[in-house]
Amino acid sequence: MTTYDDQASHGGAPARAYSSVGDDLTAVVERVRGSVESVIEGKPEVVRLSLTVLLAEGHLLIEDVPGVGKTMLAKALARSIDCSVRRIQFTPDLLPSDITGVSIWDQQRRDFEFKPGAIFAQVVIGDEINRASPKTQSALLESMEERQVTIDGQTYELPSPFMVVATQNPVEMEGTYPLPEAQRDRFMARVSIGYPSPDAELQMLDVHGGVNPLDDLQPVAHAHEILKLIEAVRGVHVADPVRRYAVDLVAATRTHPDLRLGASPRATLHLLRAAKASAALSGREYALPDDVQALAVAVLAHRLLPTAQAQLNRRTAEQVVQEILQRTPVPAAPQQQTGFGAYGQQSPRRL
Amino acid sequence: MSGRARLALCAWAATLMAACALLPLVDPATWILQAAFLLAVQSAVGAAARRVPLARPLTITAQALVTLVLLTLVFARQHALAGLIPGPQAFQRFADLLQQGGDDIARYAIPAPLESDGIRLMLVGGVLVIGLLVDTLAVTFRSAAPAGLPLLALYSVAAGLSEGGTDWLWFLIAAAGYLMLLLAEGRDRLSQWGRVFGGAPRAPGGEPDGVVAPVRTGRRIGAFALGVALVVPLALPAMDGGLLDSARTGVGSGTGGGGTISAVNPLVSLRDSLNVDENRQVLSVETDSDDISNLYLRIVSLDDFDGTTWKPSKRNITAVPDGTFPTPIGLGPETKRTQTRTTITAADWYAQDWLPMPYPPSGVRIAGNWRYEPVGMTLVGDHGQNTRGLTYEVRSLNVQPTADQLAAAPQPSAALKREYTELPDSLPDVVSRVARQVTAGAANPYEQAVELQEYFAINGGFEYDTQVKVGSGSQAIARFLEDKQGFCVHFSFAMAAMARSLGIPARVAVGFAPGSPQADGSVSVGLRDAHAWPEVYFEGVGWTRFEPTPTRGSTPSYTVTETPGSSVPDPALPSRNAETEPSAAPSASESCTAQDKKLDACAGESPAAVPVAGGNGPKWYAVLAWAAGGLAVLLIPLAPLLWRLRIRSVRLGAHGRTEADAGPHTLAVWQELTDTAWDFGIIPEESQTPRKAAARIVRLGQLDPTAAAAVHRVADAVEQVLYAPRPRLTAGLTEDVHRASAGLRATVSRGTRLRALLAPRSTVRVVWTLSARWAALRQRAAAARPTLRKASGQQG
Repeated sequence: MTTYDDQASHGGAPARAYSSVGDDLTAVVERVRGSVESVIEGKPEVVRLSLTVLLAEGHLLIEDVPGVGKTMLAKALARSIDCSVRRIQFTPDLLPSDITGVSIWDQQRRDFEFKPGAIFAQVVIGDEINRASPKTQSALLESMEERQVTIDGQTYELPSPFMVVATQNPVEMEGTYPLPEAQRDRFMARVSIGYPSPDAELQMLDVHGGVNPLDDLQPVAHAHEILKLIEAVRGVHVADPVRRYAVDLVAATRTHPDLRLGASPRATLHLLRAAKASAALSGREYALPDDVQALAVAVLAHRLLPTAQAQLNRRTAEQVVQEILQRTPVPAAPQQQTGFGAYGQQSPRRL
Repeated sequence: MSGRARLALCAWAATLMAACALLPLVDPATWILQAAFLLAVQSAVGAAARRVPLARPLTITAQALVTLVLLTLVFARQHALAGLIPGPQAFQRFADLLQQGGDDIARYAIPAPLESDGIRLMLVGGVLVIGLLVDTLAVTFRSAAPAGLPLLALYSVAAGLSEGGTDWLWFLIAAAGYLMLLLAEGRDRLSQWGRVFGGAPRAPGGEPDGVVAPVRTGRRIGAFALGVALVVPLALPAMDGGLLDSARTGVGSGTGGGGTISAVNPLVSLRDSLNVDENRQVLSVETDSDDISNLYLRIVSLDDFDGTTWKPSKRNITAVPDGTFPTPIGLGPETKRTQTRTTITAADWYAQDWLPMPYPPSGVRIAGNWRYEPVGMTLVGDHGQNTRGLTYEVRSLNVQPTADQLAAAPQPSAALKREYTELPDSLPDVVSRVARQVTAGAANPYEQAVELQEYFAINGGFEYDTQVKVGSGSQAIARFLEDKQGFCVHFSFAMAAMARSLGIPARVAVGFAPGSPQADGSVSVGLRDAHAWPEVYFEGVGWTRFEPTPTRGSTPSYTVTETPGSSVPDPALPSRNAETEPSAAPSASESCTAQDKKLDACAGESPAAVPVAGGNGPKWYAVLAWAAGGLAVLLIPLAPLLWRLRIRSVRLGAHGRTEADAGPHTLAVWQELTDTAWDFGIIPEESQTPRKAAARIVRLGQLDPTAAAAVHRVADAVEQVLYAPRPRLTAGLTEDVHRASAGLRATVSRGTRLRALLAPRSTVRVVWTLSARWAALRQRAAAARPTLRKASGQQG
C-alpha cells in the first residue's frame, strides 16, 4: 500500500516537523483525517487527496460507480469541519435558481427579496451532479471560480472557506449528462474511490452493520482553523524547477497526439496549488516534483479530451497523463529562463 | 528505372570496374570492350529472365547458357554446330585455347601480348564467370554484400599479377564499383519500405527527386571510406607499402627530362628463364674480342638491399651522352684495359627495358628512345622503349686488373663505402658470422672476396639447383647458407651481402653469362644464360666481377691468384681456424651482450665488421612513432576507464564547505551516484524525481540497508538544494557515494564489475555532450548565415 508518509517512502531521512505550519495545525489536519478515515475505511489516499483539495482551496469531484461511498466521503468531510454544509441533490428537473437562489417579490415591503440558494454554504455537497442538465450545471460556474453569485445585477459573496464536493457516476451510466468542459475545468481534482479491499469490506460490515457511522461523527475542526491551514499552504515555497516541471507537464498535454483538448493554464495553477497543499500535508515547507507527480493524474486527467482514435484504442486520459509523467524529464538544476520561450508559441488546439 | 534494373546495371559496372585491374596485364586493352559487351548481354538476359519471372535457378541457368553460347560464338565458331551450339569439338577447342593461354602466360612477361585467343579467352571468360556470380548474388538473390567476394577474387588475381605503380588507381576503381553496387542495393531495399525520406526538410526551391538524402549520404560515406583506405596505410608504420606507397616514391614512367625510370625487376623472371624447357635465343652477339669467357652482358646492377631482395636504386637519368661515356667510376689509369666492340641483336620477342651490355660500356650506338643512368652506367628505355628486335653496337672496356693491383687497392671513399655496404637491420647475424669465419685468414678486401668466392664455388659444398624455392625475406640468405642449395641469385645475393657485412662495397649484377659460340662466329645467348653475379668495388679498378656460382659462367682470371697462400687451402689455415674460432667466438659472445654485438662495441670481434653496424641503429623517429603507437594502443581501450576516473574525482573532489559551493557540489555528487549506478546497469531515468530515483537504485541494486541509507541521504540533500528555500547542508556526501558504490559492487557479478570498471556505460555522456555541442555549433552557424527563408506555413 502506497502512502504519502515521508518516513515510509523515504527511509532514513530525518523526520522534519512542521516548521511553518505549526504543531497545532498538524494536529488539526490529523484530527480531520482520522475523522474521515473512520468513515471511509481502507482508502487513506482518497482521504488525503480530499484534504489536499480542501487546503488548496479547490473543489473536489468524486467519480465512481454507485455504492462505493462517494456521498459518504463528501458528507464525512463536511461533517468533520464545523462549518455550514448544504447538500444539493442534482436531478434532471433541477433549475439554476435552485442552486444560486432567487429574488422573490415581497408584497409587504414592495420589493424583491433575495432567497439564497443551496450554494450559500461553506461546504456544498453536489450529489449526482451529472444528472442535472447542463443548463443547471452552468449555474455553478461563477460560484465555483469566483466564489460569488450574481443575481439580478446584485453580487453576493460566498462564505469562506468554500468548497464544492460533487459526486457523479461515470458518463457511461444511465441517465447522466456529461459535465461541460468549463465546469470540469473548475474542479481541482477528480478522485475515484474504487472498491474496498476484502479485508476493509469485511471490517465495514462489522462496523457499519448496525449503525450509520455518520451519525456519530462530530466536527473536529473549526472553519477558522481550516482558514489558517489554507494560509499556511499559500506560504509553501515552490522552487523554480518545480514550477517549470508543472508547466512542462501541462504543456505536454497540449501537444500530445492522443489528446483533442489539453489542460488549461488554470490546470497549471491548480496543479501547483495542490502540490503546495500536499507538501504541507507531508510536513514540508517546500514542494517537490514528487508532489506534482503524485497529483498530476488526479488534477489533469478529468480536463483532457482524448481523440476519437485514442478512444477507439481504449486509451484513457489517465493513461496519457501517466505516459507524459514517464516521458517528461524532471528539471534537475536551476536553469536560465530561456526555456519558457518555447511555450509561448503554442496555439490553442482546434477541436 | 526500377530498382532491379538499376541493381543489374550496377552489378555490370562493378564487374567491369574490377576487371579494369586486369588492364595492365595484357598489352592491347581491346578485350575489355569485348568483355563489356558480352557481360551486358549476359546481364540483359538475366534482367529479362527476372522480368518474366523465372525461378531463380532457371534464371541463372539461362544466363550461364547464354554466356556459353556467346563464348562459343566468339571463340569457337568453326567448331560449333551452326556456329552457335557448342558440341564436343567446341569444348575441345576451349580446352586447347586455355592450354595455349596457359602457355602464353608462362612464356610472356607482363604485359603479355594479346596475340592469340588463349589469353583473350581466359580474360573474357573469367570476367564473364565473375560477372555471372556477381549478378546472381547481387541481383537474383538480392544480397550485394557477398557479391564483393567474387569481385575481390577478380581484383586480387589482377593485383597479384601486376606490379605496376598505379595499383591504387585500379583499387579505387574496383572499390568504387563495389560501393556503387552496395549503394544501389541499399537504395532498392529502402524503397521497398516505402517512400525514401530525406533526412532534412526539402529546400524551398524543391530539389528534383533524383538524389535523395540517404543516397547522397551513402555516396559521401563511400568516398570517405575510399579515401581512408588509401591514406591510412601510409600513416601506419607497420604496414609497409600501402597502395600509394609506390606512387609516393615516384615510380612510373618518367615524364622525360630528369625523371626516374624503374622498370620491372629483371630478377623476377630470372628463375623462370633458367627453367625454360626450350633454350630460346635471346641475343645474338658478335664481338671482336677473342675471349668470350668475359663476355658477361649486364642488364642492370642491383645495389639496394632491403633485406628481402636486391633492387636497382632509383636514380636520375639523363640523355645518352654522345660519343664516349665517361670513365667508369673507380677505374684508375694504371689498370690495363682493352677496347672491345660488340654488336648485339635482340630477339624480336625479347622486351627488356634495360639494355644488355658488357660492363663497363664506353659508348653505345642505338636507335630508339633510350636514356642513360650514369652511376650504374646502364641504358633505360623510356616511353615504352625496349629491346625488342633491336640491333645495337656497344664499345666497352675489357678491364684486366692483376691480383696484386686488387690486393693493393686503397680504401674506397667514405661516401661510396657507406652507400654500398649498407645492410638492413633485419639481416640475420649468421651472415656476418659465416663471412668472418670464411675470411678469417684474409688480409685485405681482395683476399676476403676471393675467399668468399671460393667458399661458395669450391670449399663450401654448395650445390647448383634451379628448382629450389626462391625464399623471400631476410631469412632467405640464412636458409641458403644452411641448405647450401640454390642458383645464381642465391649465390650472388649471399656473397654480396657477406661482402657488405665485411665492409667491402658490393652489388649484384643481373644479365647474361657468356653464351655459346656459333658456327658463323657469333655468340648465341639463350634464355638459360640468364645469370646474376656479384660485383665488388676496388678503388683504382672499379666494379669487378666475381663468380661464386659453381658450374656457371667463368671465374675471372684475376681471382685465380698466383699466390697460392689464400686460394689453395693452407695447411696452417684449418688448424688456425680450429684454434681461433671455437675459442674466440663463444668467448666473444659470452663477454658481449647481444646489444653490444649489435652496436659492435666489442673490440674483440673482427675489426672488419665495424662498418656493418655503423649508423644502422633504428631511427629515433621510428622509435618515437612506435612508442607513441604502442602507447595509443594501450590507452585507447583504457580511455573510458581513465575518463570515468577523472570525472569521478572532479565531481567528488570539490568540497561543499561554503554556502555557495554546496549546491553544485551536491548536484555533482548526485550525478556521480546515478552514473555509478548506471555503470552497474541501472539506467537513469530522467523522469524520476530524486527520491524516486534513489528508491529505484536501492531496489534494482538490491542494496543493503547501509548503502540504501547512504543513497537516500544523497537524494535528500539534492532535494534540499534543488527545491528548498534555504537548503540544509549535509556533510559526508562523498563518503555516502563511496558507500553506495560499494553496496552496488557487492551485489553484482564479476563480469558486471569488470565492465563497470573498464567500459563504464556512463561514458556515453561524452558522446552526448559532443553531439550537443556540435548541434549547437551548427545551429549558431545556421543562424549566422543569412538565408532567404519562406515563412513556414502554420498548419492548423
